[in-house]
Amino acid sequence: VLEDDDCEDLVALMTSYQAGQVRAFERLYALLAPSLFRYFESRSAHVASDLVQETFLQIHRSRHTYTPPLPVQPWVFGVARNVERRHWRRSRRQEGRLLDLEGMDRTAVALGARASSRVDLGDLEDVVRRLPASGRDAWLLHHMHGFSFPEIGARLRIEAGAARLRAHRTMSAIRELLGIARRKRND
Amino acid sequence: MTESNVPETLLRYVANDLRPVRPLAPPSRRALALVPLGVALLVGAPAFWGLRQNLNDLGAALAWGVSGLQSLAGLVVVGFALRESIPGRELPRGRLAALLTGGASLMVGITLWTSVVVPTAVPPGADWRYFWECFGMAVGPGVVAVTVAAWMASRALPARPAVAGSLYGLGAGLMSDAGARLFCWVTSPAHVLLAHGGVIACLMLLGAGVATVVERRRPSLRHGRGNYSISFGR
Repeated sequence: VLEDDDCEDLVALMTSYQAGQVRAFERLYALLAPSLFRYFESRSAHVASDLVQETFLQIHRSRHTYTPPLPVQPWVFGVARNVERRHWRRSRRQEGRLLDLEGMDRTAVALGARASSRVDLGDLEDVVRRLPASGRDAWLLHHMHGFSFPEIGARLRIEAGAARLRAHRTMSAIRELLGIARRKRND
Repeated sequence: MTESNVPETLLRYVANDLRPVRPLAPPSRRALALVPLGVALLVGAPAFWGLRQNLNDLGAALAWGVSGLQSLAGLVVVGFALRESIPGRELPRGRLAALLTGGASLMVGITLWTSVVVPTAVPPGADWRYFWECFGMAVGPGVVAVTVAAWMASRALPARPAVAGSLYGLGAGLMSDAGARLFCWVTSPAHVLLAHGGVIACLMLLGAGVATVVERRRPSLRHGRGNYSISFGR
Protein backbone atom coordinates (compact mmCIF):
# COMPACT_ATOMS: atom_id res chain seq x y z
CA VAL A 1 0.00 0.00 0.00
CA LEU A 2 1.38 3.39 -0.95
CA GLU A 3 1.71 6.30 1.46
CA ASP A 4 -0.49 9.41 1.04
CA ASP A 5 2.46 11.37 -0.36
CA ASP A 6 3.04 8.66 -2.93
CA CYS A 7 -0.63 8.82 -3.94
CA GLU A 8 -0.31 12.56 -4.53
CA ASP A 9 2.89 11.84 -6.43
CA LEU A 10 1.01 9.36 -8.58
CA VAL A 11 -1.50 11.96 -9.70
CA ALA A 12 1.29 14.40 -10.56
CA LEU A 13 3.24 11.66 -12.31
CA MET A 14 0.22 10.50 -14.26
CA THR A 15 -0.43 14.08 -15.38
CA SER A 16 3.19 14.42 -16.49
CA TYR A 17 2.99 11.08 -18.25
CA GLN A 18 -0.12 12.20 -20.11
CA ALA A 19 1.83 15.31 -21.08
CA GLY A 20 4.44 13.06 -22.71
CA GLN A 21 7.24 12.71 -20.16
CA VAL A 22 8.94 9.35 -20.27
CA ARG A 23 10.61 9.92 -16.89
CA ALA A 24 7.15 10.05 -15.33
CA PHE A 25 6.40 6.63 -16.83
CA GLU A 26 9.59 5.20 -15.38
CA ARG A 27 8.73 6.58 -11.94
CA LEU A 28 5.18 5.27 -12.18
CA TYR A 29 6.55 1.86 -13.06
CA ALA A 30 8.85 1.95 -10.05
CA LEU A 31 5.99 2.88 -7.72
CA LEU A 32 3.28 0.62 -9.10
CA ALA A 33 5.00 -2.47 -10.52
CA PRO A 34 5.63 -4.14 -7.13
CA SER A 35 1.98 -3.94 -6.04
CA LEU A 36 0.81 -5.07 -9.49
CA PHE A 37 3.27 -7.95 -9.34
CA ARG A 38 1.89 -9.01 -5.95
CA TYR A 39 -1.65 -8.73 -7.29
CA PHE A 40 -0.94 -11.01 -10.25
CA GLU A 41 1.31 -13.32 -8.26
CA SER A 42 -1.56 -14.11 -5.89
CA ARG A 43 -3.70 -15.14 -8.86
CA SER A 44 -1.43 -16.60 -11.52
CA ALA A 45 2.13 -16.70 -10.26
CA HIS A 46 3.73 -18.23 -13.35
CA VAL A 47 2.74 -15.35 -15.62
CA ALA A 48 2.76 -12.51 -13.08
CA SER A 49 5.79 -10.82 -14.59
CA ASP A 50 4.34 -10.90 -18.11
CA LEU A 51 1.00 -9.61 -16.91
CA VAL A 52 2.67 -6.69 -15.14
CA GLN A 53 4.30 -5.71 -18.43
CA GLU A 54 1.04 -6.17 -20.31
CA THR A 55 -0.69 -3.98 -17.77
CA PHE A 56 1.84 -1.21 -18.28
CA LEU A 57 1.48 -1.56 -22.02
CA GLN A 58 -2.29 -1.26 -21.63
CA ILE A 59 -1.82 1.68 -19.25
CA HIS A 60 0.26 3.34 -21.94
CA ARG A 61 -2.39 2.73 -24.56
CA SER A 62 -5.26 3.82 -22.33
CA ARG A 63 -3.52 6.65 -20.51
CA HIS A 64 -6.06 9.12 -21.88
CA THR A 65 -8.82 7.36 -19.90
CA TYR A 66 -7.35 8.51 -16.59
CA THR A 67 -8.93 11.75 -15.41
CA PRO A 68 -6.87 13.84 -12.98
CA PRO A 69 -7.12 14.40 -10.04
CA LEU A 70 -8.93 11.10 -9.36
CA PRO A 71 -6.85 8.51 -7.46
CA VAL A 72 -4.50 6.65 -9.79
CA GLN A 73 -4.44 3.26 -8.09
CA PRO A 74 -8.08 2.26 -8.67
CA TRP A 75 -7.63 3.16 -12.33
CA VAL A 76 -4.41 1.14 -12.61
CA PHE A 77 -5.98 -1.91 -10.96
CA GLY A 78 -9.03 -1.51 -13.18
CA VAL A 79 -6.69 -1.79 -16.16
CA ALA A 80 -4.99 -4.76 -14.48
CA ARG A 81 -8.31 -6.58 -14.06
CA ASN A 82 -9.01 -5.99 -17.74
CA VAL A 83 -5.61 -7.42 -18.71
CA GLU A 84 -6.16 -10.39 -16.42
CA ARG A 85 -9.57 -11.10 -17.91
CA ARG A 86 -8.11 -11.06 -21.40
CA HIS A 87 -5.32 -13.36 -20.27
CA TRP A 88 -7.81 -15.92 -18.97
CA ARG A 89 -9.91 -15.69 -22.11
CA ARG A 90 -6.80 -16.21 -24.24
CA SER A 91 -5.72 -19.15 -22.08
CA ARG A 92 -9.11 -20.80 -22.36
CA ARG A 93 -9.02 -20.39 -26.13
CA GLN A 94 -5.57 -21.95 -26.33
CA GLU A 95 -6.61 -24.82 -24.09
CA GLY A 96 -9.55 -25.38 -26.37
CA ARG A 97 -7.26 -25.55 -29.37
CA LEU A 98 -4.94 -27.98 -27.64
CA LEU A 99 -7.92 -30.16 -26.76
CA ASP A 100 -8.92 -29.98 -30.39
CA LEU A 101 -5.47 -31.24 -31.31
CA GLU A 102 -5.93 -34.16 -28.92
CA GLY A 103 -9.30 -34.71 -30.53
CA MET A 104 -7.52 -35.12 -33.84
CA ASP A 105 -5.88 -38.20 -32.41
CA ARG A 106 -9.17 -39.69 -31.24
CA THR A 107 -10.83 -38.86 -34.52
CA ALA A 108 -8.09 -40.62 -36.45
CA VAL A 109 -8.68 -43.76 -34.42
CA ALA A 110 -12.43 -43.45 -34.76
CA LEU A 111 -12.18 -43.17 -38.51
CA GLY A 112 -10.01 -46.24 -38.53
CA ALA A 113 -7.53 -44.58 -40.84
CA ARG A 114 -4.82 -46.94 -39.71
CA ALA A 115 -4.51 -49.24 -36.77
CA SER A 116 -1.27 -47.54 -35.71
CA SER A 117 -2.41 -43.98 -36.28
CA ARG A 118 -2.61 -42.85 -32.67
CA VAL A 119 -0.78 -39.54 -32.55
CA ASP A 120 1.60 -39.08 -29.75
CA LEU A 121 2.97 -35.63 -29.13
CA GLY A 122 6.53 -36.81 -29.81
CA ASP A 123 5.57 -37.92 -33.33
CA LEU A 124 3.68 -34.73 -33.92
CA GLU A 125 6.63 -32.62 -32.80
CA ASP A 126 8.93 -34.62 -35.02
CA VAL A 127 6.68 -34.18 -38.06
CA VAL A 128 6.21 -30.48 -37.42
CA ARG A 129 9.99 -30.00 -37.26
CA ARG A 130 10.40 -31.59 -40.69
CA LEU A 131 7.98 -29.19 -42.36
CA PRO A 132 9.11 -26.04 -44.23
CA ALA A 133 9.51 -23.13 -41.82
CA SER A 134 7.12 -20.79 -43.64
CA GLY A 135 4.14 -23.11 -43.35
CA ARG A 136 5.13 -24.40 -39.95
CA ASP A 137 5.17 -20.90 -38.46
CA ALA A 138 1.70 -20.11 -39.74
CA TRP A 139 0.39 -23.46 -38.48
CA LEU A 140 1.98 -23.10 -35.05
CA LEU A 141 0.83 -19.53 -34.63
CA HIS A 142 -2.74 -20.42 -35.53
CA HIS A 143 -3.29 -23.87 -34.06
CA MET A 144 -1.01 -23.78 -31.05
CA HIS A 145 -0.97 -20.12 -30.05
CA GLY A 146 -4.44 -19.06 -31.09
CA PHE A 147 -3.52 -16.15 -33.37
CA SER A 148 -6.04 -15.10 -35.96
CA PHE A 149 -4.99 -15.12 -39.62
CA PRO A 150 -4.87 -11.31 -39.86
CA GLU A 151 -2.58 -11.31 -36.81
CA ILE A 152 -0.36 -13.98 -38.34
CA GLY A 153 -0.29 -12.06 -41.61
CA ALA A 154 0.85 -8.91 -39.81
CA ARG A 155 3.49 -10.84 -37.93
CA LEU A 156 4.89 -12.71 -40.93
CA ARG A 157 4.35 -9.73 -43.26
CA ILE A 158 2.08 -11.65 -45.59
CA GLU A 159 -1.59 -11.41 -46.52
CA ALA A 160 -4.10 -12.98 -44.13
CA GLY A 161 -5.27 -15.24 -46.95
CA ALA A 162 -1.72 -16.45 -47.56
CA ALA A 163 -1.36 -17.22 -43.86
CA ARG A 164 -4.59 -19.23 -43.95
CA LEU A 165 -3.40 -21.14 -47.01
CA ARG A 166 -0.02 -21.94 -45.45
CA ALA A 167 -1.63 -23.16 -42.22
CA HIS A 168 -4.11 -25.25 -44.18
CA ARG A 169 -1.44 -26.83 -46.38
CA THR A 170 0.70 -27.55 -43.35
CA MET A 171 -2.23 -29.19 -41.58
CA SER A 172 -2.83 -31.36 -44.64
CA ALA A 173 0.86 -32.30 -44.74
CA ILE A 174 0.82 -33.18 -41.04
CA ARG A 175 -2.23 -35.35 -41.50
CA GLU A 176 -0.61 -37.08 -44.42
CA LEU A 177 2.68 -37.65 -42.60
CA LEU A 178 0.90 -38.99 -39.54
CA GLY A 179 -1.45 -41.10 -41.63
CA ILE A 180 -4.56 -39.43 -40.28
CA ALA A 181 -7.61 -39.34 -42.50
CA ARG A 182 -9.28 -35.98 -43.02
CA ARG A 183 -12.03 -35.40 -40.52
CA LYS A 184 -15.53 -35.49 -41.91
CA ARG A 185 -17.50 -32.26 -41.40
CA ASN A 186 -20.18 -33.99 -39.33
CA ASP A 187 -17.70 -35.43 -36.84
CA MET B 1 15.07 -7.38 -14.26
CA THR B 2 14.16 -5.98 -10.87
CA GLU B 3 10.50 -5.28 -10.24
CA SER B 4 10.96 -1.52 -10.13
CA ASN B 5 13.04 -1.21 -13.28
CA VAL B 6 11.26 -0.85 -16.57
CA PRO B 7 12.18 -3.71 -18.91
CA GLU B 8 14.13 -2.39 -21.85
CA THR B 9 11.68 -3.55 -24.53
CA LEU B 10 8.76 -1.91 -22.77
CA LEU B 11 10.63 1.30 -22.11
CA ARG B 12 11.81 1.54 -25.71
CA TYR B 13 8.30 0.95 -26.98
CA VAL B 14 6.78 3.54 -24.65
CA ALA B 15 9.50 6.11 -25.36
CA ASN B 16 9.05 5.73 -29.12
CA ASP B 17 5.29 5.95 -28.92
CA LEU B 18 4.97 8.62 -26.22
CA ARG B 19 3.17 11.81 -27.13
CA PRO B 20 0.94 14.12 -25.13
CA VAL B 21 -2.65 12.97 -24.79
CA ARG B 22 -5.71 14.85 -23.62
CA PRO B 23 -7.52 13.05 -20.78
CA LEU B 24 -11.08 12.01 -21.47
CA ALA B 25 -13.61 14.49 -20.11
CA PRO B 26 -15.69 13.31 -17.14
CA PRO B 27 -18.52 10.96 -18.18
CA SER B 28 -21.18 13.51 -17.27
CA ARG B 29 -19.67 16.05 -19.64
CA ARG B 30 -19.22 13.46 -22.38
CA ALA B 31 -22.85 12.46 -22.02
CA LEU B 32 -23.78 16.08 -22.72
CA ALA B 33 -22.40 15.56 -26.22
CA LEU B 34 -25.44 13.33 -26.77
CA VAL B 35 -27.91 16.13 -26.02
CA PRO B 36 -28.32 17.09 -29.70
CA LEU B 37 -28.97 13.45 -30.56
CA GLY B 38 -31.45 13.17 -27.70
CA VAL B 39 -33.28 16.28 -28.94
CA ALA B 40 -33.23 14.92 -32.49
CA LEU B 41 -34.77 11.63 -31.33
CA LEU B 42 -37.36 13.45 -29.28
CA VAL B 43 -38.41 15.93 -31.93
CA GLY B 44 -37.30 14.21 -35.14
CA ALA B 45 -39.39 11.03 -34.83
CA PRO B 46 -42.77 12.78 -34.36
CA ALA B 47 -41.78 15.40 -36.94
CA PHE B 48 -41.09 12.64 -39.46
CA TRP B 49 -43.96 10.25 -38.65
CA GLY B 50 -46.44 12.89 -37.49
CA LEU B 51 -47.64 13.79 -34.01
CA ARG B 52 -50.11 11.44 -32.32
CA GLN B 53 -53.71 12.36 -33.03
CA ASN B 54 -54.66 12.51 -29.34
CA LEU B 55 -51.76 14.74 -28.30
CA ASN B 56 -54.10 17.49 -27.12
CA ASP B 57 -55.97 15.04 -24.87
CA LEU B 58 -52.72 14.21 -23.13
CA GLY B 59 -51.78 17.83 -22.52
CA ALA B 60 -48.36 19.39 -22.89
CA ALA B 61 -47.07 18.13 -19.56
CA LEU B 62 -47.92 14.47 -20.12
CA ALA B 63 -46.87 14.57 -23.77
CA TRP B 64 -43.79 16.79 -24.15
CA GLY B 65 -42.92 17.14 -20.48
CA VAL B 66 -42.87 13.43 -19.71
CA SER B 67 -41.12 12.59 -22.98
CA GLY B 68 -38.48 15.21 -22.17
CA LEU B 69 -38.06 13.68 -18.72
CA GLN B 70 -37.72 10.20 -20.21
CA SER B 71 -35.15 11.45 -22.72
CA LEU B 72 -33.21 13.11 -19.90
CA ALA B 73 -33.31 9.88 -17.91
CA GLY B 74 -31.92 8.05 -20.95
CA LEU B 75 -29.11 10.57 -21.18
CA VAL B 76 -28.27 10.08 -17.49
CA VAL B 77 -28.18 6.30 -17.97
CA VAL B 78 -25.79 6.72 -20.93
CA GLY B 79 -23.64 8.94 -18.69
CA PHE B 80 -23.44 6.11 -16.15
CA ALA B 81 -22.57 3.70 -18.96
CA LEU B 82 -19.68 5.96 -19.94
CA ARG B 83 -18.55 6.00 -16.33
CA GLU B 84 -18.82 2.19 -16.16
CA SER B 85 -16.47 2.02 -19.16
CA ILE B 86 -13.61 3.73 -17.34
CA PRO B 87 -11.17 1.43 -15.51
CA GLY B 88 -11.60 1.59 -11.75
CA ARG B 89 -14.91 3.49 -11.95
CA GLU B 90 -17.23 0.52 -12.37
CA LEU B 91 -20.63 0.97 -10.76
CA PRO B 92 -21.38 -0.90 -7.53
CA ARG B 93 -23.98 -3.63 -7.92
CA GLY B 94 -26.55 -1.71 -5.91
CA ARG B 95 -26.34 1.35 -8.11
CA LEU B 96 -26.37 -0.79 -11.21
CA ALA B 97 -29.53 -2.56 -10.06
CA ALA B 98 -31.10 0.79 -9.15
CA LEU B 99 -30.34 2.15 -12.63
CA LEU B 100 -31.77 -0.86 -14.44
CA THR B 101 -34.91 -1.10 -12.32
CA GLY B 102 -35.27 2.69 -12.31
CA GLY B 103 -35.14 2.84 -16.11
CA ALA B 104 -37.66 0.02 -16.46
CA SER B 105 -39.92 1.45 -13.77
CA LEU B 106 -39.90 4.86 -15.42
CA MET B 107 -41.03 3.37 -18.70
CA VAL B 108 -43.73 1.24 -17.08
CA GLY B 109 -44.88 4.12 -14.88
CA ILE B 110 -45.24 6.51 -17.81
CA THR B 111 -47.10 3.85 -19.79
CA LEU B 112 -49.61 3.19 -17.02
CA TRP B 113 -50.09 6.89 -16.29
CA THR B 114 -50.70 7.66 -19.95
CA SER B 115 -53.13 4.75 -20.35
CA VAL B 116 -55.18 5.95 -17.38
CA VAL B 117 -55.39 9.56 -18.62
CA VAL B 118 -56.17 8.73 -22.27
CA PRO B 119 -57.19 5.08 -22.70
CA THR B 120 -56.88 3.99 -26.33
CA ALA B 121 -56.54 0.50 -27.68
CA VAL B 122 -55.20 -1.11 -30.82
CA PRO B 123 -58.03 -1.72 -33.35
CA PRO B 124 -59.24 -5.34 -33.23
CA GLY B 125 -57.15 -7.73 -35.30
CA ALA B 126 -54.34 -5.21 -35.84
CA ASP B 127 -52.20 -6.10 -32.83
CA TRP B 128 -49.25 -7.53 -34.71
CA ARG B 129 -49.32 -4.91 -37.45
CA TYR B 130 -49.21 -2.15 -34.84
CA PHE B 131 -46.52 -4.02 -32.96
CA TRP B 132 -44.22 -4.25 -35.98
CA GLU B 133 -44.93 -0.71 -37.10
CA CYS B 134 -44.03 0.81 -33.73
CA PHE B 135 -41.10 -1.54 -33.29
CA GLY B 136 -39.70 -0.67 -36.70
CA MET B 137 -40.21 3.06 -36.28
CA ALA B 138 -38.55 3.19 -32.86
CA VAL B 139 -35.71 0.74 -33.32
CA GLY B 140 -33.97 2.63 -36.14
CA PRO B 141 -33.28 5.84 -34.21
CA GLY B 142 -32.39 3.72 -31.18
CA VAL B 143 -29.73 1.86 -33.17
CA VAL B 144 -28.21 5.21 -34.15
CA ALA B 145 -28.06 6.21 -30.47
CA VAL B 146 -26.52 2.85 -29.49
CA THR B 147 -23.89 3.23 -32.22
CA VAL B 148 -22.87 6.69 -31.04
CA ALA B 149 -22.82 5.62 -27.37
CA ALA B 150 -20.82 2.49 -28.26
CA TRP B 151 -18.23 4.60 -30.03
CA MET B 152 -17.96 6.90 -27.02
CA ALA B 153 -17.66 4.01 -24.58
CA SER B 154 -15.08 2.22 -26.73
CA ARG B 155 -12.71 5.17 -26.26
CA ALA B 156 -12.33 3.97 -22.67
CA LEU B 157 -11.59 0.43 -21.52
CA PRO B 158 -14.66 -1.24 -20.01
CA ALA B 159 -13.91 -4.04 -17.59
CA ARG B 160 -17.50 -5.32 -17.95
CA PRO B 161 -18.37 -4.53 -21.55
CA ALA B 162 -21.71 -6.34 -21.47
CA VAL B 163 -22.80 -4.28 -18.47
CA ALA B 164 -21.68 -1.01 -20.05
CA GLY B 165 -23.38 -1.99 -23.32
CA SER B 166 -26.64 -2.92 -21.60
CA LEU B 167 -26.64 0.42 -19.84
CA TYR B 168 -26.11 2.51 -22.94
CA GLY B 169 -28.63 0.31 -24.76
CA LEU B 170 -31.14 1.12 -22.01
CA GLY B 171 -30.31 4.82 -22.23
CA ALA B 172 -30.61 4.82 -26.03
CA GLY B 173 -33.88 2.90 -25.77
CA LEU B 174 -35.37 5.39 -23.34
CA MET B 175 -34.32 8.30 -25.57
CA SER B 176 -35.75 6.61 -28.65
CA ASP B 177 -39.01 5.71 -26.92
CA ALA B 178 -39.38 9.30 -25.70
CA GLY B 179 -39.87 10.29 -29.34
CA ALA B 180 -41.89 7.18 -30.23
CA ARG B 181 -44.56 7.89 -27.63
CA LEU B 182 -45.18 11.23 -29.32
CA PHE B 183 -46.21 9.63 -32.62
CA CYS B 184 -47.84 6.40 -31.43
CA TRP B 185 -51.38 7.25 -30.31
CA VAL B 186 -52.06 3.86 -28.69
CA THR B 187 -51.84 3.88 -24.90
CA SER B 188 -52.86 0.28 -24.20
CA PRO B 189 -50.20 -1.08 -21.79
CA ALA B 190 -50.04 -4.38 -23.64
CA HIS B 191 -49.06 -2.67 -26.89
CA VAL B 192 -46.72 -0.11 -25.33
CA LEU B 193 -44.90 -2.55 -23.09
CA LEU B 194 -44.57 -5.19 -25.78
CA ALA B 195 -43.68 -3.04 -28.79
CA HIS B 196 -41.99 0.00 -27.22
CA GLY B 197 -40.58 -1.93 -24.26
CA GLY B 198 -39.42 -4.60 -26.71
CA VAL B 199 -37.39 -1.96 -28.53
CA ILE B 200 -35.67 -1.01 -25.27
CA ALA B 201 -34.97 -4.65 -24.45
CA CYS B 202 -33.58 -5.27 -27.94
CA LEU B 203 -31.37 -2.18 -27.74
CA MET B 204 -30.02 -3.39 -24.39
CA LEU B 205 -29.15 -6.75 -25.95
CA LEU B 206 -27.66 -5.00 -28.96
CA GLY B 207 -25.60 -2.73 -26.72
CA ALA B 208 -24.31 -5.67 -24.68
CA GLY B 209 -23.41 -7.56 -27.86
CA VAL B 210 -21.74 -4.61 -29.56
CA ALA B 211 -19.72 -3.72 -26.46
CA THR B 212 -18.56 -7.31 -26.06
CA VAL B 213 -17.55 -7.63 -29.71
CA VAL B 214 -15.75 -4.27 -29.68
CA GLU B 215 -13.87 -5.27 -26.54
CA ARG B 216 -12.87 -8.65 -27.96
CA ARG B 217 -11.69 -7.10 -31.19
CA ARG B 218 -9.55 -4.56 -29.37
CA PRO B 219 -5.99 -4.90 -30.67
CA SER B 220 -4.12 -7.54 -28.76
CA LEU B 221 -1.11 -6.42 -26.74
CA ARG B 222 1.17 -9.42 -26.62
CA HIS B 223 0.14 -10.88 -29.92
CA GLY B 224 0.38 -7.48 -31.41
CA ARG B 225 -1.47 -5.99 -34.26
CA GLY B 226 0.06 -2.99 -35.92
CA ASN B 227 1.56 -0.46 -33.58
CA TYR B 228 1.00 -2.42 -30.42
CA SER B 229 3.07 -5.39 -31.39
CA ILE B 230 5.57 -6.12 -28.67
CA SER B 231 7.15 -9.35 -27.62
CA PHE B 232 8.24 -10.04 -24.10
CA GLY B 233 11.44 -11.91 -23.68
CA ARG B 234 11.08 -15.17 -21.83
